[in-house]
Amino acid sequence: MQNALTKVKSEEYGGELIQLVSFNLENEEYGINVLMVREIIRMLNITRVPNTPHYVEGVINLRGKVIPIISLRRKFDLMEAEYDKRTRIMVMEVVGELMGFIVDEVSEVIRISGKEIQPPPPVVSSGIEQECMAGVINQADRLLVLLDLERMFTADERRIFSSVG
Amino acid sequence: MSIDCEDQELLEGFLAETTELLEKLDDDLISLEKNPEDADLMNRIFRSIHTVKGASSFLGFDSLVKVTHKTEDVLNRLRKGELILNSEIMDVVLEAVDLVKTLVGDIKAGEIVERELDDTIAKLIPFLSENATEATVLAPVFASMEASAPAEGDAPSAGQGAEADRAADAGETADAGEIAGAEESPAAQPAPAAPPKPEPATSLPQRTAAAPRAGGASPPVKEPQKAAARGEDLADNSTVRVDVKRLDDLMNQVGELVLERNRMIQLHSDYQSGLDPNGFGDDFGKLSKRLNFVTSELQMQVLKMRMLPVEKVFKKFPRIVRNLARDLGKEVDLQIIGEETELDRSVVDEIGDPLIHLIRNALDHGLETPDERLGAGKSRTGTVVLSAAHEGNQIVISIKDDGRGIDPERVSRKAIEKGLITEEQLTNMGAGEILDLLFLPGFSTKDQATDLSGRGVGMDVVRTNIRKLNGIIEIKNDLGRGSEFILRLPLTLAIIQSLLVEVEREVYSIPLSSVIETMRVSKREFHMVGGQEVLKLRDSVLPLLRLQRTFGCAERSADRDTYYVVIVGVGEKRIGLVVTRLLGQQEVAIKSLGKFLANLPGIGGSTIMGDGRVALIVDPMGLVS
Repeated sequence: MQNALTKVKSEEYGGELIQLVSFNLENEEYGINVLMVREIIRMLNITRVPNTPHYVEGVINLRGKVIPIISLRRKFDLMEAEYDKRTRIMVMEVVGELMGFIVDEVSEVIRISGKEIQPPPPVVSSGIEQECMAGVINQADRLLVLLDLERMFTADERRIFSSVG
Repeated sequence: MSIDCEDQELLEGFLAETTELLEKLDDDLISLEKNPEDADLMNRIFRSIHTVKGASSFLGFDSLVKVTHKTEDVLNRLRKGELILNSEIMDVVLEAVDLVKTLVGDIKAGEIVERELDDTIAKLIPFLSENATEATVLAPVFASMEASAPAEGDAPSAGQGAEADRAADAGETADAGEIAGAEESPAAQPAPAAPPKPEPATSLPQRTAAAPRAGGASPPVKEPQKAAARGEDLADNSTVRVDVKRLDDLMNQVGELVLERNRMIQLHSDYQSGLDPNGFGDDFGKLSKRLNFVTSELQMQVLKMRMLPVEKVFKKFPRIVRNLARDLGKEVDLQIIGEETELDRSVVDEIGDPLIHLIRNALDHGLETPDERLGAGKSRTGTVVLSAAHEGNQIVISIKDDGRGIDPERVSRKAIEKGLITEEQLTNMGAGEILDLLFLPGFSTKDQATDLSGRGVGMDVVRTNIRKLNGIIEIKNDLGRGSEFILRLPLTLAIIQSLLVEVEREVYSIPLSSVIETMRVSKREFHMVGGQEVLKLRDSVLPLLRLQRTFGCAERSADRDTYYVVIVGVGEKRIGLVVTRLLGQQEVAIKSLGKFLANLPGIGGSTIMGDGRVALIVDPMGLVS
């Protein structure tokens, strides 16, 4: 995992091609390094877990393993939306643990050149925490926000995560 | 430097064998100290070291060969009766064994680190036959020690020996570290000469001998401690040895499972092709019964294979107790009972640290010094009994000492001093609750913290660890006569019996081991006492906890007349959990929630239900406290 990340960073400057999984949240497009994503599954029964932060939706049974599910909408303070047939759970390995992230829709895998990644704008108006943004990709007709979910779980947050309530 | 070994398999075999030998060695050495006459034991120890030496020289681990070779030489002299075993020799041999463990640990980790071997080897040298000067000087010294039993006669002769030693050593090696090492061992000699005859004087010279060591030569003292820690790492449980018979049984069970699967496939295809649709229900019923039988058998088999004798943990303790007793200047007889009791490896891996802590406490706080003991009319040697036994579905481990016991007065005074409780709270406390104060974070009765225990971080950690294992810890106390800490642990952590309950359409699983009874209660029977909902149950008043509030479930049917109450008990405490419905009893496999959700209050884990959904497992201890 660490390798995958550092690779992206070095490639940012090297200008090599990297692959991103792009997904939608409230009509905005986001990208995540494809190497982070283990699998993408449809919504299934989520068991609520009491006394967790509001963005922890619960846990699911992923083929015999119980993994926590996080709602990215709630995490980024976006409006709640009904789950529909396009809703997906992206299962990723974040800081050594499998976790699922609920997104509105997963669209495609795109290749971009590392050169296209621009640093995030200094002021971010939406609720997305600045530290999760690894950069912005500006292609002809689309704007992609590149996320780094590992940063979302900074040491500080991880501690709170486990002791909330 | 990384390890360059052509035959990986050979290396692994070497590591497995060496680790096993070394584990046994500690234990054997301690027993040898108690029975120096046991020739079989002596030979076994000698053979173990010899095997390690042979194998490591074959594989070209030179530093390992160096240390084992010297150790072997010392052991050889002991074996031939040229040296008489005393605790000084034993210390050095144990230190060498620790060093060997560290070296093997390095090999295991795949990195050979340059380690300081000379200190330890220098300590071995005075006992070596090879080294003619020392041997001739030392032999008479030891002889004179033996001859002049009274402690007074020892000091001068040993002193002379030390002088001669130092001179010889200095002449031989200019290395300053080695001189320090050599100085140290003779300096400590006067004390160990006495142990065969335990007299009041023993503890004194021992301590005086220990003091300069700790102050002056700090590196050689610290090194073995690190080595010991490393040695513990060495004994990890990444590989298992399984009895072939158990494996055969397992194979049989799997064979039956395959048969049942075939029958199921057959049944399904018959059903699909429309053959005898009436009999399907019956056949399917029979099939599921057999499957149930086979899987539970299989489960038992696998569980058994995961079982390890608790000896694996216990065998570390004689050594620890020996060292502690000497550091504390106490005389301790450690008795181990029931070390063959088997329990799940997941439990075995976890109980080591809490047990070490409890044993330290027993020695440090529990047992008195020999003089105090004599004053109290007890024998001067204190006894610590470590026992393990099966009791129903649990394993019970107890650490019992015949020391001074726990003074509730002192405990409560300390707790107030530290601001952990108020006077007012204290007046409402029973004897059991006062002892429970020991487990509060930040508690310590020892007026002065020692190196060993008394920093006040101990007992609460012990209890937390035991709770993590779904176990409980109890204290039995007899002031003036000793105390006993009893751990009750489940046999396995993997599968538990549980009671499934529904709380506002969410399913939770409550470990059956903590369920005392369940009852259906009409709403009218709930009362409010001081803001706490309670239930009058027979003669007692039971505090109630509405799970839907604790767990923040959306209330779907606010008004109902009857509720179900699950009474759970942890130790002496009882609490009633109010749930919507009881669903039944089921054996569930525990799944971890991962590290992000590990410390949720009241939730101990999760399990997967028959329909694939996840149900959370309630942790009653978390709810009670």
